Amino acid sequence: MDKMKSKASTDGSTKKEKKNKRKQSKDSQDDVKPISNEVSCEDNKNELVDEKNDSTKNDATAQKLSEKELRRLEWEKKLQSQKGDKEVTTISNTKTTQQQKQLSEKELRKLEWEKKLQEQKAGDTANSALSKAELKAKRREQQEAQRQAKLAAEKAKKPPSTTPTKDTAKEVSKVEKKTVPKKETKKIIDLHRVQLVQHLYAEMPQKQDSKLLVYNNIHPAFVKLGSQYLNKTILGSNARTLALMAALKRLIYDIQTPPKQELCRYLENVLQTCTNFLQNCRPFAVSMVNALRNFKLHSTQIDTNLIDSEKKARLQDIIDVYINDDIYKAGDAISLKVNEKISDGDVILIYGCSSLLKKILVDAHKDGKKFKVIVADCRPLLEGKEMLRRLVVAGIKCTYIFLNGASYVMNSVTKVLLGAHALLTNGYVMSRIGTAQIALVAKAYNKPVLVCCETYKFSERVQTDSFVYNEIGDPDLLSKTPGTEDPSPLSKWKENNKLTPLNLLYDVTPPDFVTAVVTEIAILPCTSVPVVLRINAIDTT
Amino acid sequence: MDGAKVREFFCKIIREDEDVSVGVAAIRTLMEIIKHSKSETVQELETNLKDGINVMKNTDYPVAAINSGCELFLRFITLAALDTRCFSDCKKIMLDRGHLFIKKLDEARGKIVRLASKFIEDGSKVLTHSRSRVVLQTLRKAHKQNKRFEVFVTISAPDNSGKQMCKELQAEGIPCTLILDSAVGYIMEQVHFIMVGAEGVVESGGIVNKVGSYTMAVCAKEMKKPFYVLTESFKFSRLFPLGQQDLPEEYKFKSSVRKSSDLKKVHPLVDYTPPAYITLLFTDLGILTPSAPLSTYKNIIWKSIMNMTPIQDVLIMDH
Repeated sequence: MDKMKSKASTDGSTKKEKKNKRKQSKDSQDDVKPISNEVSCEDNKNELVDEKNDSTKNDATAQKLSEKELRRLEWEKKLQSQKGDKEVTTISNTKTTQQQKQLSEKELRKLEWEKKLQEQKAGDTANSALSKAELKAKRREQQEAQRQAKLAAEKAKKPPSTTPTKDTAKEVSKVEKKTVPKKETKKIIDLHRVQLVQHLYAEMPQKQDSKLLVYNNIHPAFVKLGSQYLNKTILGSNARTLALMAALKRLIYDIQTPPKQELCRYLENVLQTCTNFLQNCRPFAVSMVNALRNFKLHSTQIDTNLIDSEKKARLQDIIDVYINDDIYKAGDAISLKVNEKISDGDVILIYGCSSLLKKILVDAHKDGKKFKVIVADCRPLLEGKEMLRRLVVAGIKCTYIFLNGASYVMNSVTKVLLGAHALLTNGYVMSRIGTAQIALVAKAYNKPVLVCCETYKFSERVQTDSFVYNEIGDPDLLSKTPGTEDPSPLSKWKENNKLTPLNLLYDVTPPDFVTAVVTEIAILPCTSVPVVLRINAIDTT
Repeated sequence: MDGAKVREFFCKIIREDEDVSVGVAAIRTLMEIIKHSKSETVQELETNLKDGINVMKNTDYPVAAINSGCELFLRFITLAALDTRCFSDCKKIMLDRGHLFIKKLDEARGKIVRLASKFIEDGSKVLTHSRSRVVLQTLRKAHKQNKRFEVFVTISAPDNSGKQMCKELQAEGIPCTLILDSAVGYIMEQVHFIMVGAEGVVESGGIVNKVGSYTMAVCAKEMKKPFYVLTESFKFSRLFPLGQQDLPEEYKFKSSVRKSSDLKKVHPLVDYTPPAYITLLFTDLGILTPSAPLSTYKNIIWKSIMNMTPIQDVLIMDH
């Protein structure tokens, strides 16, 4: 902590001085990583300036908002600061009853839901066995954050220009000095970010994310879906897409067009806010983006002269057809094609959990083929366990290994089947992290690798590494070892500035490692993705 | 036409005309079936054709070529059926288009020869495997262009078709050496490139060819010699073998062998060469890299036939 303070005070000093100081200091660790320290300091500055910019933006938008909404926002902030403390929330309940009377019914429902969510979260944090001190620290952190935001807002009002000149920089440093504890907490968060994937953290949804509370007029089905995405109760791109489509159907069923508006146009707007909300819970999967695009495209083609109920029926039809054709029937077709390739005596290696692979293997088993499956799995999600359960229930002979045992079993494997999150235009396969390793080992052992993927997961994006675009999962998961009583030695990583766990969710597999991609159209080499995309584009236009 | 007649007609074409490849012979036979067919519906005609294909597959000629040629032709027939109302009209259109189709196929080899002969330079040593009409014509053409080069031909067991290839080349006056199949590695270091034909091109971009091609390709890759494949585009087939085991039995063994004994002890006729070992594919659509998505090219052939436009134009349109 002392070190941190000293760093904060030397913020204004030049780099040379810093270097000299560091040379004089006998702290060997500091010498090992001087560059990273410098960078983190600079980053801090940048972020503070950014924060300022943000706050001014917020100000501008806030003026536009009506008084009523302003009051509501304030109330929400208050509510948030009291998160984790049930007693206080109950008091606030009694306080706010008068306010609630003034609010419309719709808002009431939303508020109720928010409260529930917060209570849940409070429960969650309690469950995760945090110490009282930690809870206190968290609360303090939040209060500090608020105070900081207020200060910044006041500051932003005074100087009209927002460009980060020297003066503003000084002001910033003043603010820093005033709120030293805040700075420390902020710094700790920053320190635990891997430089290489810095840009990905912006999209990472935090559990106590205030962004989510800003939205109103979200259909309850989407609110529920959002929380399911956030808590990862719905996993896998197929499942996520199906859930999204179900929520969309519910929305269409419930929607009521305001007078003098057309249903489809109105729906488009509503859907936009809903998808924005979902994006904040978890970035969309490629499959979801494609499914939504298809829906939007078809919804614009509906005859505007129809009455609302007919339009709704058509819209529901669009979704049903899409789910049936592009997901279920595609799965059937892929299963048939892969089954031609599975023969008696095969040993098939799969990785993680995939609904499509499960279907393929169960179908092959029903066909009477005699084969063995090796399920490779990986921490932290351990999805393979679920896959293993499903396969064993179906009566398939299975072996369960961890990813680090892949090279040991690869010798006996005859085929490798993999699922995919998306297929990129340059033929790279984006899939859950670890897939590239399996493919690499398979390639080294000359085993055929089949990637099973419906064409609705094809993407126009091009990506050659896993860092440009990815998702960051909860880093806490890495330090938890399921099934053991003792706390992991990594569990206190937040207190160690030198330790940064990184939990990436996806990786990309180069086409060199993949023998073929099985789609509902045909078995293709990886490099044929652009062709399929072009055919699909012709079909839809 | 009954089975025996179809069989006779098919074998006659191949026997009489040395230059006709099996695939083209198969398509000609199908045309003959349409001409003599007494069926009144498209459905019936189709079943007739399918029966004919089965008869041809049961001859001892390579199935890979018959399969891909017929597959293409059948698809083309079903498409033609959509255009007209009356069956007699339909039949006429089918025959017209069939002739056009065969004409295009006949032109195909000339195009390949033109493309590939440029790759043979003065003083080069060429290694080839078994007997391929396209390769033979390419070498002839290069010889006519007064290029001096030397050819090595493998004997190519079990049917020793390399011997015939060698004889034909020597008759042209091209210096030619017959080598053992097992001497491929020995000869590899002195040749400049390898040129082989193909019985079929599969969707991965790899080829199915006379057994021994794979050995040659692996060897060439290791010695860093270019491995060129000369093949007509109608040989593209909708198959995606994952390895040698995954090749259909009918490709690997003659029909007479297939019916009888334990297949483990029979020598296969063909093997599968994965695209990673192939440098270039010379086709009538142009020179392709094996990683190029072959399925598109197949679509292009179709478009060119259906729209009656020259293939080159369609290629330009598509790129």
